[in-house]
Order: sequence, then structure tokens, then C-alpha cells
Amino acid sequence: METKRSAGSLALKAVLALFFLFAVLLPLIRMLSNMATTDVGGILSSPQFHSAALHSLLSSGTATLISVFLAFLLAWCITRSRIRFKEAWCVLFTLPMLIPSISHGMGLVILFGSNGILTNWLHLPFTIYGFGGIVIGSVLYSFPVAFLMLLDVLKYEDGTAYEAAAVLGISKGRQIRSLLLPYLRKPLISVIFATFTLIVTDYGVPLMVGGKYTTLPVMMYNEVTGLLDFGEGSVIGACLLIPAVAAFLIDLFTKESNGQNFVTRPRSVAPGRGRDVFCTLLCIVAGVLILLPIAAFVLLTFVRKYPVDMSFTFQNILKTMDQGAGDYLINSLIIAFSVALIGTAVSYLTAYLTARSRGISSGLLHLISITSLAIPGMVLGLSYSLFFGGSFLAGTLSILILVNMVHFFASPYLMAYNSLGKLNENLEAVGRTLGIGRVRMVLRVFVPQTRSTLWEMFSYFFVNSMMTISAVSFLSRRETMPLSLIINQFEKQMQLESIAFVSLLILAVNLLMKGIIALIRRRAGKKEAA
Amino acid sequence: MEKKLAVQDLFMRFGDKTVLDHLSFDVQKGEFLSLLGPSGCGKTTILRILVGLQAPTSGKIFKDDQEITGLAPDKRGMGIVFQNYALFQNMTVLGNVEYALKLRKDLKPRSREIALQLIEQVGLTEHKDKKPGRLSGGQQQRVAIARTLALNPDILLFDEPMSALDVANRLTLRDEIKRIQREYHSTILYITHDQEEAFALSDRIMVMGNGRIHQLDTPQNIIDHPADEYVEEFVIRNLNKKIESLMKYRKPE
Repeated sequence: METKRSAGSLALKAVLALFFLFAVLLPLIRMLSNMATTDVGGILSSPQFHSAALHSLLSSGTATLISVFLAFLLAWCITRSRIRFKEAWCVLFTLPMLIPSISHGMGLVILFGSNGILTNWLHLPFTIYGFGGIVIGSVLYSFPVAFLMLLDVLKYEDGTAYEAAAVLGISKGRQIRSLLLPYLRKPLISVIFATFTLIVTDYGVPLMVGGKYTTLPVMMYNEVTGLLDFGEGSVIGACLLIPAVAAFLIDLFTKESNGQNFVTRPRSVAPGRGRDVFCTLLCIVAGVLILLPIAAFVLLTFVRKYPVDMSFTFQNILKTMDQGAGDYLINSLIIAFSVALIGTAVSYLTAYLTARSRGISSGLLHLISITSLAIPGMVLGLSYSLFFGGSFLAGTLSILILVNMVHFFASPYLMAYNSLGKLNENLEAVGRTLGIGRVRMVLRVFVPQTRSTLWEMFSYFFVNSMMTISAVSFLSRRETMPLSLIINQFEKQMQLESIAFVSLLILAVNLLMKGIIALIRRRAGKKEAA
Repeated sequence: MEKKLAVQDLFMRFGDKTVLDHLSFDVQKGEFLSLLGPSGCGKTTILRILVGLQAPTSGKIFKDDQEITGLAPDKRGMGIVFQNYALFQNMTVLGNVEYALKLRKDLKPRSREIALQLIEQVGLTEHKDKKPGRLSGGQQQRVAIARTLALNPDILLFDEPMSALDVANRLTLRDEIKRIQREYHSTILYITHDQEEAFALSDRIMVMGNGRIHQLDTPQNIIDHPADEYVEEFVIRNLNKKIESLMKYRKPE
């Protein structure tokens, strides 16, 4: 009986491992093997590659430092002050996560470009194109991610150590040196690497505002989509893999495995008027900066012809819809819903198998499940286009669904893994002694107790599939193209108002989804408390 | 006395670590047997093997003279109550007790009736529509007991059921377990590391250490004739210390 049960779950684990083999590992190997027939040395020693690599390192490094610094500052404001509307500020600060990186780039062009709103209004003597634009755009794009990670780090810092320190009469400065800094070191390294990876592998921002300042992802994008040079694309892809894999490994080895059983208490915040005013001001400034591009999108969408004719109109929307935006929206919705449904189901099942049973097979499957974190979307996309190129999947919506699901798999998987791991370890034993089958236990006991996590996972898959431009860029065709990718086409035709509208549309869909899920989760929470 | 459970030459190894070193013992029908030992001595492993959650490396288990070594956990007529309750947090008290009954064709028509009766037995009728999260630890453990009793097992296994409770709750739950044993004529195997609890509840006590049985006897015989130095140290000295610390406060008559 014992053996039959574990054989069943072992078989299921094997099937999932096989799935990851075909969906992650083999495509990746296919891409890397592509380099065998390419003049790798020639590419790596070319001046174009050198300057792109240097540009990537410089702009991404600068943007990472600024982004993490600002994220820390604002996360500190939220967790270590008594300012009001903390939840609202958090929603506002994470808004940029809901639109494609390419929109952030275009937002800057609309604001600070040669004919930009602020350029005209303030008679600015400079424009945004190049290094500065990439840094600002990348900060905007990556800030919410860094902010959320640091918010978690600061929120769950144990306050009891500080209370003990205060009782022992240890000075504030010493507390920072001997408690805060050691506590922050590991998570901060993780956040810095994750943010850097996010920025250095993105092509959306530099493609829009980079001008002649070419970075590696832009070079890869141009080689593959423009020149159809898969060899050179693969070489750059392999380079982009390096920081991502490094970030993954660092995260893996710096994860604290203990600390869960300790009694912890959140840090208490003493009243402090000066500090609260300062924090509120910071939040307002950050909020305005985040809202600025969105306001510009609204302005451009609903004004007849900026800056010539400022009268209100729906004309831009109708024109964009005429150009097929509706069809692309439907593509996006099909992709996002499918990824959310299938992705949530598969990642939950995987997490159930790894979190609820011990052993080597669980550990291995766990490791395989999170490896997708180490693969940038563009690299995954190129791998897929090489690996599945000739198959029945090529050019279908299915391959876009598959690639997004794999690309975004790790985070929702970890959400499920953590919340399933927290449930009582004897539940399976109870089920078995009472004759309640495994499937029934999952559906009637585990799922209801983790409902909130399931919605969070669904939302993560959906929102990211709506706004992604990375993995899908080498795989979509005209008929299957998602909404986010037509921004690039409108840019070539200089239809800024269409870009503004499409960006708003993606933002609106994602906000709507977020809102609905927040409502569902709140209602579920109320029912749970009853 | 009738033999209810017989364990023969039970051996269990994890990797190269021997957890249970060839144990054999019998449990009589209607007996309250405590497994007493420090944590890590193999008590819980015995329980998990008896109820079928784990397969032993070797050895046999008989219940009512039938071998049950390879039988599924739900076919053994045993119920188990865990230290941390392991309740279905998403269901009400009634839901928890009733759930397994509803899955059994023969019991389904009477499931509500049986469940309500059990809930009354453990004194939780007024809480029957609450979720476990709103109950105290002692009340939650009562729900777990009622849930276990639902399928009417004739052997009940308890895995340190009191260790998460405060002293007052322990004492009332003790009485309750004894009462349940009388009413259901159950045979009980009770794991504890608390010497005093074992002596207060048991007909016989199995003193364990390092995967071996050091002594299996009545409380009286263990006090009078401890089998070896280990029993002397782990059971009697510890008990004496507790008694001494209490006696200090006793006023002279």
C-alpha cells in the first residue's frame, strides 16, 4: 500500500520532470549548441559587441543602484514610519509592474523626447535619448520589483532583538551596525542581483530611448528579428544567461533556511512627526514621478493632436482599434487567461508534490521547478523558436502560452510551495487513517486552505503574460501577436497616441484583474474569519 | 485477558541508523498502554508503523490474531490523534467529524447523527458550527478525538496529545480520555515523554530508550523493581524530583 502510493506520486514527479526537460532544458541546449556553428570568437571580439556589452553593464549597473536605493528608501518609509494610506502608497508604487517595459521607454519619449510634453513645456535644453533615458526608464521599470522584495525584507525583520538591545542600553548607531546591516546583507545582495538581471536582460526600454546607445538585448533583438541571425543571437543570449544564472545561484545559496520556528515580532514604530512628514513627502514625490508617464498616456490618448490641437476626442482610440488593436487584445486575453489557468494548476500540483513529501525526488523536482528563474525571457524565446521551429507548435497561440507559463513558473510555484509547506504536516496521515483519498484531500482540504495563494498565483501569471514582451517576441506572428508587442510597430510609424492608448489598455486590463482578485480574496478572507 | 495486538520482532532502519531494534510486545484488549521515553527514542515511529503510515524494515503486526502488517491505514480499525491536532481548518467542527463518515457508503445515511453524538460526547455541541481556528487548544484536541472516533476504531493511538496544552487543559483532557476508553471499550496506546502523565493514566508502561524496550510493566512494578539503570534514571529519579519540588510547598500538618 505504502509502495503503491509513493509509486503513483513518483510517476507524477517523473512526468513533471520530463515536462521541464522538454520545456526548459532541451530548448536551451538547442540554443547553446547553435553556437557550435557560429564564429563565437569573431562576435565576442567585434567592436559592436564590446560597446554593447559595456553599455549594458554601465546603464544596468547605474540603474540597479538607483533603483535599489530608491526602493529601500520607500520601503523603509512604509515599514518604519507612521504615515497614513500605506496600502494606497504600495498600490501606487507597484503600478509600473502592470505595463510593458517598452511602455516605460515610450512614456519617457512622450515626456522628454524631442517633441516631448515636458521638453516643450519647460523648454528643456536636453533630450532623453541614450544612457540617461535607459537609466531612468529602467529604474521606473524595475523599481516596483525591488520595492516589493525590500518591503518583505523590512516587514519581517524581527523586532525582539531591537527591544533586547534597547533594554541593554545599546545605542542606535550600534544597533544599525550590529543588527540591521548583518540582517540586510544577504537579502540585499539577492535584491541587487535580481534587479540587475531584470534590467540587463530587458530590451524594451533601451530599444525605445536608447538611440544609438545599443545594449546587448537590443543587439540580440535586432540580430534575430531584423537580420534573422540566430547564431549571433544565441551568443548574446548565452551572455545574458550569465547574470541570470549568477543571480539564481546567489539567491539559492543565501536563502536563510532557518528562522521559521523562532518567535518573532514586527519592529515597533515609535511616534515621530518629523520623520512622518519627511516620509510622506518622499512618497508624494515618488508617486508623482510614477504617475507622470501614465498621465502623459492619458493626455495623448484623449487629445486630438498634441501639441497642435488640444481638444478632447475618442478619435485616437477608434483609429487604433481600426488597426487591429482589438484582435491583439483578444490574443493577449486568450494567452493571459490560459497561462493563468494552466500555469496555476501545474505549479500548484508541482508544489503539492514537492512541499508535501520528503526525499530526493522532491528535492530534485523543486530545483528543476525554480530553474526558470535563471533564464531570461528573451533567451527562453530564442531557444523555443530554434527548438520548436519546425514543429506543429510553431506560430500558434499554444507556444506563446507555453513559453509564458514556463517563463513565469517559478514565482507562483514558490508561493504555493511556501503556503502548502506551512499546513499541518500530519494532514496526509489523518486522511490515510480515515480513508480519505489523496485527490479528495487535495481538493477538499488543501485547496480551500490555500485559496488566497491560488488567486495570487493566478493574478501573477495573468498580469505578467499581459505585459511581457520578452519571451514572446521571437515566437509570435501577425495572427498570434499579443497587444504588448504592437507598441514596437506603432513606434516605427511614430503613432505615439496609439502607443499611449495601448499602454493604458494593458494597464486597465491588469488593474481590473488585480481589483477583481483583491475583492475575491477579501471576501474569501471574511468568510474564513466568520 | 485477551490479546488485542501483537508486535513481533519489529525492526526499522533509516539509512544506516537503527530506529527500532527488534521489538516484540503484546497489548491486551481494553488496556491503556503508555510508551514512555525521551524524544527521538522511536516512540512515534512505532505508532506510525502500527497504524500503517510507515512500513517497517522487517517484523510483523497482528491484531485479533490476524496479520495486518501490509494493510492500508484505513483498513486496520485504528484511529490516531496527533500532538498538533491536524484538523481540517477550512471545515467546521461538525464538518471535521462528519467528513470521513460521508465518504463511507454504509455510514453515510447516519453520518450527521453519529457526528453530532460524538461532538456531544466531547462537550462541544455549542461550538459545532465554528471553525477550529476559533477554538482553544484543548477544544481543538477534542475535535480531533471525536473525528478519530467517528469510524469507530477499537484501538486508539495518541501521539503526545497533551504537549501543546496548558496544565489545566491537560488534567481535564486526561479524565476525558479515560472516560472515552471506558465508554468505547477501546484499547489505547499513548505516547508521552512525561513520566507523571504515564503513571497517572496507564495500566502498563513501556519505558523506551534508543529504539529498545527497557521495561514493560505496571506502574507499581516499575517503581518497585526498575529493570535497569536507565529506568531508574529516566523514570524514578525524574518522578522523585517532581514530587520533591511540589512537597516543598506543603505546609506541615
